[in-house]
Amino acid sequence: MSAVKPSNKNPQTMKIPGLHLTQIGSGDFLLEPSRGLNIHDRGTLIRSLVARLQHTKTTRLYYDLSEQVIIDPVYYAWLNELARALLTINIKMICIHMQPTAAFALAQFTQEPPTFGTALNISGWRKAGDRGQHDQRRPG
Amino acid sequence: MTQKNKTMEKNGLSEKLAALFSLKIGNISATLEEPGRKFFCGDSRLMDEDDVADFSAEFLNLITVLLGSKEPFNRESPEFHALEMFFASLSRKILLRGGNVENVVRYTQLLQHTLIGALETDSGIAFSQSRSVLLYFTGVFNELIMAVFRAYLEEKEQALHVQEEALRETATPITEIWDGVLTLPIIGTLDSSRTMLVMEALLNRIAKDHARAVVMDLTGVKNIDSQVSHHLIQIVHAIQLMGSNAIITGIQPEIARALVSLNIDLANITTRASLSDGLKEAFRLMDIHVSRKAEQ
Repeated sequence: MSAVKPSNKNPQTMKIPGLHLTQIGSGDFLLEPSRGLNIHDRGTLIRSLVARLQHTKTTRLYYDLSEQVIIDPVYYAWLNELARALLTINIKMICIHMQPTAAFALAQFTQEPPTFGTALNISGWRKAGDRGQHDQRRPG
Repeated sequence: MTQKNKTMEKNGLSEKLAALFSLKIGNISATLEEPGRKFFCGDSRLMDEDDVADFSAEFLNLITVLLGSKEPFNRESPEFHALEMFFASLSRKILLRGGNVENVVRYTQLLQHTLIGALETDSGIAFSQSRSVLLYFTGVFNELIMAVFRAYLEEKEQALHVQEEALRETATPITEIWDGVLTLPIIGTLDSSRTMLVMEALLNRIAKDHARAVVMDLTGVKNIDSQVSHHLIQIVHAIQLMGSNAIITGIQPEIARALVSLNIDLANITTRASLSDGLKEAFRLMDIHVSRKAEQ
């Protein structure tokens, strides 16, 4: 799989097959998956992303789930694995725009809180400060 | 004998049936009003005499068009379809006015006999002695009774749907009490299907209103079992996954005891004693400060 293809026109954007990464502020990136995303090749995808992000002083990666109507255990495992990998280089992954159907389905089979944080949208997370709109591991 | 009659007889129709299809029907509308008066006027007060006269005339017009059509046997013809629509509409009208389907079915059956009698009197042809004419009308009116039942079922289904919607709304009275803060008081028994209903409505509302906090008040819930408590945790979990904050308030002592005995882990769930405390927590999470206006 060809890995990272930085855009010549705009260094703040980058394309990995199935993923579109955009810098949206100092230390913040937005990751938008497309239909072409092949999560079965997650090793390559994670390596490409980590390689791209670790030299950018990124602290937060917003993963946009607006197109993901259903999240099944395989996709959930991908999200968790990506979040864990990003934590190793001190990047917090926050999933935004999770659809009601996806949250409904996900709540049926998950027992433990996910590794990633969740927020309604980017501004929702920023308003709530760094502890996040909802850090899944934050005690009540 | 007309050309049409001859063609029909060639096609195997009996003489009386051929005569029926070529009949110049006179004004028998007044006779056809009798069944309508019997079933829909009087004590039942489902219609007044003018209504009955109107729809009897309309029926006569439609049946005349069908009998005179090129294909009086064709159940797919526009003429027959118009007759079906007429009975479906009549059925709906009667049901909406508080009548029952039996009224309409009995009316349709009596109308069949009255129509044959009226045609016989009007034309002087003994239609009631013809097996083929009786069979033809039985076939037509059976289909019309089916149309009446279909309309009845559609009406019932629609009523059920409306009731379900009303129940759904009363079962999940979600209110946006502040910008981005939803409250959901749950009253009565929480079973699995209701919990699922609540969950679906709540998640859709969070997405619609971009709600950042949801306060679920359980003050009105008296009983909870293991399955429902797990569903409750699932609701909270789903709310958190959407990026909103869930706050559960008003847990009654019996519920608290049940949750403990069921080994339900509330460690990741924000709980407060009362709805008021829950709202304060929601405001705190959203950095909203509510204070009394300073005295002048």
